Amino acid sequence: MATTRADIEGMIARIAGEDRAAFLDLYDATSAKLFGVCLRVLKDRGESEDVLQDVFIKVWKNAGRYNVNGLSPMTWLITIARNAAIDRLRARKTPAEGGEALDRLQDAAPGPEAQAVAASEAREVVRCLGTLDDDRAAAVRGAYLDGETYQTLAARFDVPLNTMRTWLRRSLQKLRECLDG
Amino acid sequence: MAENDEEDAGLAAEYVLHLLPEDERRAAEDRLAVDGGFRALVADWTEHLAQLADDVAPVAPPAGLRARLAEAVSAQARPSRGATQGRGIMRWFGGAVGMAFGALAAVVILIAVLPPVQPPYSGPFYAAELAGEQSDLLVQARFDPRDDTLLVERQSGAAAAGRVLQLWLIAGDADPVSLGVLPEDTTARIAVPAPLGQQIAGGILAISDEPPGGSPTGLPTGDVLAAGEVGEV
Repeated sequence: MATTRADIEGMIARIAGEDRAAFLDLYDATSAKLFGVCLRVLKDRGESEDVLQDVFIKVWKNAGRYNVNGLSPMTWLITIARNAAIDRLRARKTPAEGGEALDRLQDAAPGPEAQAVAASEAREVVRCLGTLDDDRAAAVRGAYLDGETYQTLAARFDVPLNTMRTWLRRSLQKLRECLDG
Repeated sequence: MAENDEEDAGLAAEYVLHLLPEDERRAAEDRLAVDGGFRALVADWTEHLAQLADDVAPVAPPAGLRARLAEAVSAQARPSRGATQGRGIMRWFGGAVGMAFGALAAVVILIAVLPPVQPPYSGPFYAAELAGEQSDLLVQARFDPRDDTLLVERQSGAAAAGRVLQLWLIAGDADPVSLGVLPEDTTARIAVPAPLGQQIAGGILAISDEPPGGSPTGLPTGDVLAAGEVGEV
């Protein structure tokens, strides 16, 4: 059965009332997606599992505040997961080697339920990123999906840090014009 | 588009992407707490950029995690917990009934045993939940327009050693106006001057970290630790 936005919102509302069954329903519907998001940032299964556990505890505790921020439910969940993963990434002393986890990511096929959740209503960002140069689009994706910093991006594209920031700022501005247009 | 707007939109995007250096990130968070326009920009970017996660393939998490989480939430769920999690507003309704009988100290005890009840007064109440990302401060505030009092309950967090928590009202584009320094007690009843009371609806309540006695300048001088929008309940 496909999980809709309304389903997820309903689960979050019930979790706010401490409904444990709803909490497990939400886990079943979204944990694979959120684990994927954590893995993409951290490229380490053990750390991603720790972070995902924290993420769901946060969801349990903060479900009552979901409506306050006006985000769609999957955006809210993905943002909690990504922020937690990036916090963990930044707290790390040395970057992990991520080859194995990445391979696994690419092999993994989403289950039907997860696929339904993944398909968001709109994909303007993907279309608008397509209007940017490939490098710039890759930089935006790298920052969002892999938690790259200006430092790592500057090294990757072999440009000075300030240039990288100017670049990305301009790209983001162009992206916004496209999104608003 | 004005240059400032563009600058803000860029900053909001960098904030959402986690690209800001630590000091700039903290400054952006302080701004988020008090600046509705900036919050809207951040929400927009958050919503748009989250679409990038569509390309992330779901991966089944390790099997044991579900059971561990089920156990963790069972351990945390206690009958009285509902009041502090997600039903804070109902708790204040319960509080209103308690207040009618007098002693504020009794309120907490009363609402722990009273089921949520509708208040006898049918006009609007206003409430806000004040929280912040950088602190564990969590404060519930409830404004009663009948007598312009603001009931404040600090549910977690406290002032740092040698510092105080100061409550502010931010109405529209105006500068924050102090509503006073919060007492050490977890609950406080604050009389709001009538003209300010009319501005509470739709405003933002915020708490800043200040030296003893409160901000010497009349405006927040320390970090904004928690903030929340006031909504009708």
